[in-house]
Order: sequence, then structure tokens, then C-alpha cells
Amino acid sequence: MHCIILVKQVPDVSNIPEDAWDREKGTLRRGLLDSVLNPLDLHALSFARRITAGDPDAKTVYLTMGPPQARDVLLDCISRAPGEAVLLTDRALGGADTVSTAYSLAQAIRRIERELFAGSREYVIVSGMQSVDGDTAQVPPQLAEDLGVDQVAYAQDVHTEPALTFRRIGAAGTEDVTPTRFPVVVTVTACTDTLYAGFHATRAARSATIHTWGAADVEAKSDRVGLKGSRTTVYRIFSPSEDRAKQCEMVSDPADLLRKVQAKYRLASGGPAAHEEGSYALDGREPSYRGELWILAEREGDGIKSVSLELLGKARELAAFLGERVGAVLPCETAGDLSAELIAHGADVVYAIEHPLLATFSPVPFKSAVAAVVRERHPQVMLFGATPMGRELAPRIAYACDSGLTADCTKLEIGDHTKGGHALIGILKQTRPALGGNIMATIMTKDSPTQMATVRPGVFKVPPREDSRTGDVVRITPELAADLVGAQVTPVESFVSKVNIRDAKIIISGGHGIRSRSDFDRLLQPLADSLGDMLGDGAKVAASRHAVEDGYRSHDYQVGQTGQTVAPKLYVAVGISGAVQHVSGMQMSDTVVAINKDPRARIFNYADFGIVGDLETVVPQLTRAAQEAK
Amino acid sequence: MDGIDILIVGAGPAGLAAGIRAKQAAKDAGRELAVAVVDKAPVPGNHVLSGAAFEPAVLDDLLPGWRQVRHAFTDTMVAVEREDMMFLRRKGANRIPPAVVPSRMHHTGDVVISASRLAQFLAEQAAKVGVELYHGYTARSLIVEDGALRGVRLAEVGLRADGTPKANHIPAEEVRAPITILADGTNGVLSRAFAQQFGAAAQPQTLSLGMKAIVQFAERSPFGNNRVMHTLGYPMPPSVFGGGFLYSLGEKTVAVGLILGLDWKYGDLNPQREFETFRAHPYISRLLKGGVVVATGAKTIPEGGLASIGTLSAPGGMVVGDGAGFVNMEKIKGIHYALRSGMCAAETAVAALGDGGAPGPLDGYRERLEAAGVLADMRHARNYRQAFEKGGLFLGTPLSLVSALIPKQLGHHHDGAATKRGARLNRPDPGRMDGATFVALTGTIHREDEPSHIAIKDPARCASCQDDYASACTNFCPGQVYRWDGDKIVLSPSNCLHCMTCTVKCPTLNIDWVPPEGGEGPHYKQL
Repeated sequence: MHCIILVKQVPDVSNIPEDAWDREKGTLRRGLLDSVLNPLDLHALSFARRITAGDPDAKTVYLTMGPPQARDVLLDCISRAPGEAVLLTDRALGGADTVSTAYSLAQAIRRIERELFAGSREYVIVSGMQSVDGDTAQVPPQLAEDLGVDQVAYAQDVHTEPALTFRRIGAAGTEDVTPTRFPVVVTVTACTDTLYAGFHATRAARSATIHTWGAADVEAKSDRVGLKGSRTTVYRIFSPSEDRAKQCEMVSDPADLLRKVQAKYRLASGGPAAHEEGSYALDGREPSYRGELWILAEREGDGIKSVSLELLGKARELAAFLGERVGAVLPCETAGDLSAELIAHGADVVYAIEHPLLATFSPVPFKSAVAAVVRERHPQVMLFGATPMGRELAPRIAYACDSGLTADCTKLEIGDHTKGGHALIGILKQTRPALGGNIMATIMTKDSPTQMATVRPGVFKVPPREDSRTGDVVRITPELAADLVGAQVTPVESFVSKVNIRDAKIIISGGHGIRSRSDFDRLLQPLADSLGDMLGDGAKVAASRHAVEDGYRSHDYQVGQTGQTVAPKLYVAVGISGAVQHVSGMQMSDTVVAINKDPRARIFNYADFGIVGDLETVVPQLTRAAQEAK
Repeated sequence: MDGIDILIVGAGPAGLAAGIRAKQAAKDAGRELAVAVVDKAPVPGNHVLSGAAFEPAVLDDLLPGWRQVRHAFTDTMVAVEREDMMFLRRKGANRIPPAVVPSRMHHTGDVVISASRLAQFLAEQAAKVGVELYHGYTARSLIVEDGALRGVRLAEVGLRADGTPKANHIPAEEVRAPITILADGTNGVLSRAFAQQFGAAAQPQTLSLGMKAIVQFAERSPFGNNRVMHTLGYPMPPSVFGGGFLYSLGEKTVAVGLILGLDWKYGDLNPQREFETFRAHPYISRLLKGGVVVATGAKTIPEGGLASIGTLSAPGGMVVGDGAGFVNMEKIKGIHYALRSGMCAAETAVAALGDGGAPGPLDGYRERLEAAGVLADMRHARNYRQAFEKGGLFLGTPLSLVSALIPKQLGHHHDGAATKRGARLNRPDPGRMDGATFVALTGTIHREDEPSHIAIKDPARCASCQDDYASACTNFCPGQVYRWDGDKIVLSPSNCLHCMTCTVKCPTLNIDWVPPEGGEGPHYKQL
């Protein structure tokens, strides 16, 4: 079995020098950051090596698209594990979003298949989970869509005997996926220890052949690549601190802090704070888009996932500005009472797509069914929850509908934009963190029939249920071929909330500032216990992405853009710097306390109360004070 | 791929100059030589730090036309137009008249540079002339066979903290070459091993510790541009050798630093606290008012001078730059010696390789250093630093000015031995930047689960050190690596700044430091 490994050169966002920040403009000077191999791609390398290991005829091909300097990451890859390499580089390819990137890479893969694999289709396309600069995870599913192949997302492990099988995190738990046809796209979340580049291997890599191809070499159409082929455009970049929501009160005495927290805690209700509502009026102008605003409804148990209801609330608000209807698309076997639930939460019309193949989630049948309805009825907006299912499905639907998609939005607004004398009226402005959460970007869809976005669970509030609301139900029965399912799936273990930090009223979260796992346990659990006792509510310990990467806690405990979104009554951030990725997962907490040694840490911008000091000193003081205050 | 002809360990100014010169000299001789540089830093320049006021003439020799090359290094370089030497009292400051400052200590004609950016620049130039650069590889030990240096052994990677291999383990690789040039910097582990193997210096190396911060301003800095200032006096007590500096790096940036001779006697002296105290001095803080510290770093400087320089060449090997001890404390400068010595070593290597076969002797290195004036300068300054050790500030300063006239070499001991039992400075905390923030601003990173690269040789000795020397390592380490937990020293090796202070300053020389896995350590970008 051959492997094509997709890799990307990214700026090193883990180590941003202070002078790389343009404080006046609130942006980052990317030229001052080192360029590195996307760290998450390192997992793909280890993973692919396990696929090819037992097969002497297996070929490994590294593929990247980027400027000529991206050659460096290919050399880095070859130094870690030998293989051939393809550099797709061309001025025409510059400025690409995920859609035009996926198209260009797919064209390159077709040529690799023809020439390097001599036409063999027995190969696996392996990629990291996402790039740390874009953080969208959209290219692999869109690439799979272009190639018309299956994708296995969130793979963690691989076995080659008896058949090539990937263990992955599915929507309902861990499962084993055995593809029945190839090629297949696999995105890897984690693998064993990443491979080092040996000295002699690195030296040998210098003389390795790197195939350098331009757009014409892979027969890419000029209107589908680069900026021109993109379906989204960045409209504004700004500093996360502009989004600063809170005025932090600095406190030096732990006992004083606890008094303040206690007083505020009693007043708070819990749950997501009321989201500030925007306002917009067309004032009789002709909007640039027409049509309904849709959400994709996801099922959970016998009901609808709360994220879908949250999206309904937001779609309702946006639709009111435009005077349009809200639609909910529900792929299912039979809709039953679910249509009524959607209508009660704000849908004006439910498109119930019913088919036995839609009983459980499988990307290709779901995509085929939903994309057909979108193409036929062209809604102006389509929103997806950034759930495991949404993250796999949305990119494919967007690609199939020739529409732009923005991942993990933290803010959606209706607004206008004028560029080059051309006015865009009543468009969807999509704001999300980018570049490792170091900047915020507002993005607009372009040249697309539908404006699409994904939103993480917990970002918006579930609207109140109104059983008196009425709406239409449109039943659609698509024709879906059974061979749309290209893999055998065997559930291994369902994770029915093994860990559920989202239910906790109090969360103590630790980050990079804590130097070891033993410090993490020693400092945070006693603080959680004593604060829980003091306030009479359950308290749980959680972690930032850094702390999870350092192995202090498993991913289930991760708060942030790539973890869970939480909204407890009290959130205590210990040694967390406050990258937007983290903040987007906790900013709806009622009361936020930040403890950090660095007075300039961004977390203080999002905290109600802050203590600057050494964690070793402050945390035990706070724990003792809470025990005494009880 | 063919073998390596010249292997260079360390991609600082000395190593990179050696690499560039070797390729140039080979080209002039009509030969194709494989020249490789290995360095433990993740990217060029990350482990390079200096003041730095720099005599740029040497670069005209190495890279004619370099001033016209657009690069962050050349773009941010500042010509010195004004220089001051100040004596700081507790509150005030006095200008030392230029007339009493020896001419060798003047800086007119120098440029202020970022040494880290110089290394980035040289790395780019080296790559252009075909030098093979390998970053992220740690050279751990020398390969010596039949009385000759044959190359180096790299650190093995992928070990757990307990030393057992992980799935990604790579055993120690050997990198061999007919000629190896050691440019591993101040008190470098390999340079020391080389001296031990082939001929040690007359005296142990004495080090100073330099701490540096880059201060950024929204508007023009109060200090101004095109200016350098050196200070003596406060906060150091008279027995401590050292001085401060402020160098402008453009309108809105000032490099500020404090250099302390490691032969201080106080067990509780915390150099980072001294640095904060210095910056809090009313005169200095006025010059830095409104600025924000955006980067910090610390590194030692080999100051022993001529007497601490051991064998410079042996069969198959040469030692250059800071690793050899080429720093002139009279001028407080070493970068141009680093470049010059690298060039001399490279020329010697290319000549010795001749037309192939076994390399000839490398004795020509010393002759080239003589011809280039490096050794003459070192001779002139030989007693400058030692005069301070003998005389302290008040006697040492006037003595140092005429130190060149002292005929015999003044002696000195290793720096740790200078720590006096029971001597305490009792410096109050100035309440400014704490140690943890200082470390954070260096950007240092190490894999948390690797074996510690720092070891306490005999933990039993630490118990008495607590009373005798106030557990000196918990104070002298600017990286906050050492902590006393009540009955033993606890290490945080992931904080390490690779500054080398602990290799000489432990009063009982009880600390073993080896370079960790490659690609770790500080991330200096503009220091």
C-alpha cells in the first residue's frame, strides 16, 4: 500500500517573538516568524510509516503546495522517513483558500497516481488533523470530495493485518474503519512519538530528487486555483484584544479575591451568558444574496443536538434582519417528532431528507443527500455545528456546492462591504481566530451561491422552546446507491460522557505555566476541591491545549477551539496565557479568574479578576483561603 | 553522498565564518570540499547573544560588499556616533571624562548589532556559498583515535527521562571528517574536552555572565539613537567586577545589559536581580522610560584571556572563537576575534587538506592568528581582567588601565572557588521583573520527558552548601533551573538558557552540564 503524505510549511506560532507583533495595527508580521513543518503533520509521518512498514514495494510520496521555500519541509520529511517528494509551486497558486488548495492538490495527486504509482489506486492519502496556521481541517475532506473518495477523520491508530484498518474517534465513540476501496484520505489526530531526523539521513536528503510542478504541470484550470479559485476572502484582520469583553480587576490578596468571587457567584445564573445581539437593517436596499438561511440539524439520541438548536437561534436572529425564512435540513431515516422540535426552536421550514442510508452518519451518503437539496433550493446561508460530523460533512458539502466555507466561527453578523465601487449588501460576516489564535479574521464568502460556516458547540445560546410556533415540513426521499458507503465500520467503545467538563459549575483549568504533570495534579485538584466546597457546587479540573499536548490531561479535558466549549459559573485559568483558541472555549463563563506570572498575559483581557504571581505560591494560598472561608 | 572534508561544530560567528572562508579558500584553490556545520539550536542565531558593539572591518575581508546586502542584520545595524562612560552612584551618575578612557576602549567607528541576527545573516551567506548547515544536532563528545581528532559523536535522541529508548529513538550518530573545527562557544563542552585531551591552558577559564534585554519604545527612546553607554559602579559592590551597557539599535530600540564577573564572593548574589536593580537605577531608568522589555537572554563570556587559552590545534582539530577564549576584556569584545579566528582556522584547514589524502599539520593556525593580530591583542589585554580580581574596582580600575605594563601574568582561580563561605550581599528585591518572566522572555524550550542534561554529582555536598554559600546555584542561575526544596536541590532543566554559568560557578564544582537533545534551548532572535 503506497502513501501520499500531505504536508505544509507554516509559521512557527508556538514561539512568536514579541517584536513580531505590530501593536499599532494589531497584526502579526509573519516574516519575522520561523517557518517550520506543520507540527501536526509529524503525526501523519509516523502514521504513514506504520502503513508502509511491512511492504517493501510500498512507496511514500510527500506532497506540499507552497512557495519555493516550502522545499525545506519536504527535505525535513525525507530526513525523518525516506520517500519521494513533490513540490507544487506556482505564482498562480498563491492566495488559495481551502477550496482552491484542495483542487490543486487533487490535481497533483492524479499525476502522482499516473506517474509515480504507475496508475495503481492502492494508496492512502495521509494528512495531519489540521494546519496550525489555518486551523480549519477543511482541505482533506474537500480533497476527498474532489477525488470522489472516502475520508477517515480523527484516526489515532492503524493495523495492517488482517486488512488495513484505522482506529478513529467517530461521532459516537471509538471505532475501527476498514476501507473497502482505495484510495482513501486519512487525517491523523495523534500517533506515537514523532520521528526525529537523523544527521546522516538529513545529509542524504539534500541530494534527494524533488519533483517541482507548476499549475500547468498538473493540468489545473486557471480559474480554479489560487486567489481566483478561492471561495472565501479575508475582509479584516484584527487583534484578539479588540474583542476584549471584560475589565479585569487585579487583586493581590487571595482572601479578598475569594470574597469578590463568592459575591459574584451567588448572583450568577450559569449557562452561556446572553450573547450580545447585533443589529442590521436593509433600509430598502437590494441585498446581495436572496433565499432562506439554513442550518444542518444533527441528531443525538432521540432528539436534536443542542448545537443545532443554538444555530437555529442565531439563524433566526440573522434572518430577521433580512426578512427571510429559517430552514433546518434534517438527514435521517424518518423525521418523526424531530421536525416539531426544530420548528419549536425557530425553524420556519424543515427539510426532512429520509432514507435508510441516513440512519447513521456516513460522509458520502450524507453529503450526496444534503448537497442535492442545497443545489436545488439555494439557501443564502448554511450553518453547521463544528462537531465531528459537521467537520467532516460541511467541507464536502461546500465543495460539492461550489461554495466557500469558514470554520469555527466565534461571531456571525450581517453587514455590508464596499470594494472597488462594488457594494455587497446584507452579507454574512464570519469571524474566527486564526494563526494559532494569535489574530482574529473576519471572512466573507465570494463567488458562491451559498455562504457557509461552522460554529462550535456552546458559542450561541439555545433559544427557548415555543411549542406554539408553526412551520412547514418538506419531506424529501433521495435516491442513494448502497455503494456510497466505502468502508466497514465496527464500533469499539462508545464514549457516553466518560468525561464531561461541560456540566461542571466550577472549572479549574491549567495551562503551559504549570511545569509538570505532578505539579498539575498537586496544585489544581486541591484548589478545585476547596472552591467546590466553599461555593457548594461541583468543581472539575480541565486543561488548555498546551497542557494536553504536554500530557498533563487527556484531550477529553481540553477547553478551547479544538477541545470543548464550556460556560461554567466560575472559570479559574491557572498559568494559561489566553490564546484566542482557548478563550473561544471559555469566554461565556460567568466569572473568570486568571492567575498568571506574566502581567501582560492576554488571559487578563478576558478575566473578571486577576492575580499576578508565581503559581507555586498563589495557588496553595488560594486553596488555603478557600478552606478557611468555607 | 561523499564524506565531509571539514566539520565545524557550532554555528555562531566563528563557526560560520570558518565555513564561509573554507568554501572560499577551496574555490580559490580550485577544489571542491564538503564543509558541514552542526549546531544544537533549532534555527540559525537562536543560541547567539552578545552586546554588541562590533568592529566591522573583519566582515569586509570575509564578505566584500556585505553592507549592501538587505537583511534584518544590516537593516538594524547602527553606527556609533556618541559614546559615554558613566560611573553610577547609588542615586546619581557621573560622566568619566573621555580623556581618561584608554583609546582601546573607545567605540567610534564601531557599529551596534544584534549578534543573533549576525549569525542569521552569516548562515544565509554560508548556505549561498555551499556550506552544509545542520541545525538541531547536538555534538556530545569528541572522537579521538590514534592521537588525532576524527570528528564528533552526536547526542542520542528519543530517550525517556529514565534513559530508556522510545519508539523514535536514534542512537548516537558519529560524524567524521579529516579536520574538525570546534566553535562551540563560551566554555563549550567539546572545546574543554579538546583542551583536556591535547593541552590545557595555564589557568582555568574565568567567565563573566552577561544579561541582556531588548527594550522597545512606541516613540523615539529617551536614550536616543547612534549611541553607546557603558557604566561602572552601582549596583555592584566594589569587589564585584562588572559593568552595564546601553546600546541603541535604532530610534525605538535599546539593548540594555549588565555583565558580572563570575568570581563574585556572595553566595546569595542573584545576577538577574542585579540586572533588575541596575535597570531600576534612577539614571538608567530615565533613559529607558516608556520602554517595554520584549526579549531577554543570558550568556557567559570567557574572560581569562591569554592565560586561559589552551592548545589551539592538534592533529585533525582546531578550536576557534569563544570556545578558544578569544575575548578581549579591555575592549569588551570578542565577535571580530571569533570571525577572524574562524577564518584563520578555515584557511589552515584548506591548506592542510592539500590535494587530498591525509591532512597535513595544522600548526599554521597559530601563525595565521599572529599575522591577523588576534594573539597580539590578547597579549596586550592579558592582565586587564586579572587586575580587577586582584585589586577590586577602586584599585583594579586604575591598575587595569596600565595592566598592559605588568610583565608577568597575574593568576586566578576557578570562579566557583571565589564564593566565600558566609559572604552575603542581601540585595533587596527591586520588585520588578521576576525570574520566571525573565526566563519566559528568552523563549527557552526543552522536551519535558527527556533525561536531565544537568546533574548534581554528589547531592550530599548540597546540604552544607545551603549554610556555607546560600545554595549558590539557586541564586546564580539566570534560568531558575535550581531550587532548594528543604533537603535537596530540585532541577528544572527545561528552564536552562545554555549560558554555562553553572559549569564554573558552583562553589564545589558539583554540577555536570551536557548539551541536551538538539533543537532545544533559548530562541534568541535579536539578542
